[in-house]
Amino acid sequence: MVKKLVLTLALVAMTASPTLAKTIVFATDATWPPMEFVNADKKITGLAVDLMEAAGKEAGFTPEFKAVAWDGIFAGLAAGKYDAICSSVTITDERKNTMDFSTPYMKVRQALVIPKKSAAKCIEDLKGKTLGAQISTTGHFAVKKTEGVKDKSYDEVGLAFEDLYNGRIDGVVCDDPVAKLYALKKDNYKDALKIACIIPADDELYGVAVQKGNKETLELINKGLAAVTAKGLDKEILKKWLGTAE
Amino acid sequence: MKHQGKCVVEETQPIVIDVGDGAAIPKPSDKGLVSAWWLSFIGALVTLGCLLYFKPDPYLRIFKFIPDGILVTFQVTVSAIALALVIGLITGLGRISRNKYINLVASTYVEVVRGVPLLVQLFYIYYALGRVVHVPDLLAAVISMSVCYGAYMGEVFRAGITAIAVGQTEAARSLGFTRSQTMYYVILPQAWRTILPPVGNEFIALLKDTSLVSILGVADLLRRGREFASESFLYFETFTMVAVVYLIITLILSKLVSFMEERLSHHVKR
Repeated sequence: MVKKLVLTLALVAMTASPTLAKTIVFATDATWPPMEFVNADKKITGLAVDLMEAAGKEAGFTPEFKAVAWDGIFAGLAAGKYDAICSSVTITDERKNTMDFSTPYMKVRQALVIPKKSAAKCIEDLKGKTLGAQISTTGHFAVKKTEGVKDKSYDEVGLAFEDLYNGRIDGVVCDDPVAKLYALKKDNYKDALKIACIIPADDELYGVAVQKGNKETLELINKGLAAVTAKGLDKEILKKWLGTAE
Repeated sequence: MKHQGKCVVEETQPIVIDVGDGAAIPKPSDKGLVSAWWLSFIGALVTLGCLLYFKPDPYLRIFKFIPDGILVTFQVTVSAIALALVIGLITGLGRISRNKYINLVASTYVEVVRGVPLLVQLFYIYYALGRVVHVPDLLAAVISMSVCYGAYMGEVFRAGITAIAVGQTEAARSLGFTRSQTMYYVILPQAWRTILPPVGNEFIALLKDTSLVSILGVADLLRRGREFASESFLYFETFTMVAVVYLIITLILSKLVSFMEERLSHHVKR
């Protein structure tokens, strides 16, 4: 009797498995508004979070977000502490060596934010000055690549903006959606800071990173992202968070 | 506090505290065995040497990346120690001052600083004060460290000063010394002996705690290590290197402290 019950249960479970959504745990450094951040209700939210939830609905997985510090986020993925990273990770060749990426879900550029009273046009006018960025982000790499500019790295991009506001550094380089939010929307900052320029370089693409060889998770995410794009849901989400559907 | 141990009281003799009859704690013999300090120090140096020699990639790359970080750690440590000593002495004297107000201020300072985690203090002084006065990052780090450790050292100073027998003060005062002269010429020189070992420990704790300033973006040894690791993904190698370098610096500092202690105790042996 018991055996029969177990068998029926097993059968039910097996037949139900396609509808039982798989949970994918995404690590995210939720300090990168408007892409991913912690809102007033202490919930991880943002453009990328909405996008993954939409993708999950389309492809049949449940995204679960886990807050992880950026410094060490890739090490945690390699160690298998979570399934994927959805944290505005720019797809680079170096990173491709150690992880696999989904199809790109967002195009960004590097913006330079400076105080309103600064006369600098762009990054080359800041020779001998100190520029802040979040540790080992593409913005940080851009600062390091610039001749004659001192770099200062921060655990969170917000700390870099605070230091810029307090006059300890002369500029901050980060992804343009983030720069727009801090320099144009945040109280205090919007009166004191401005976006100087977009640093001339190739466009960057955000992708979801998974462990090398984790095809199953990657396919699910790609399927979801493709469906979201096909239905035009991504445009809505972009509009909601950035005000423009570019 | 009563002395522990056996008191042999005889009518015609003063009280003798016989330490030899106390709890039988076997003394480790230092004959034939290398001391723990040398073992750690040589071990750390050999480890460093082996890593650099046998696996120059990546260890040599890491080693070339961190020197300015070591220098910053060193700068913060030395200046914070100097400042914390001054703050500590003022606080310690304030804590034993007969002036009600001075005493209250010093005691309140100690209570408040001891009740807030150093990391929170760092954030507070750096970002909260940063809104008011524009202090450069290195200076803010040094001020935060010394404000925190000044309170701890103040307690050490107070304990050291109150440990000096009251007869010393009485004798000096009856010789016509003023209160401050007594403190300066009689009490403090003796108190140094009691104070130095715990203060030396505070120095070492301070050196290790400077790693916290990396959170402020100050490019110290830990920050440089983190930058290297998060870019190269060589977490194991980088932090092995950082740990070994910290260990070597800390061991050198602890040797300096014990050397100072030896000099002082040598000086008072009769």
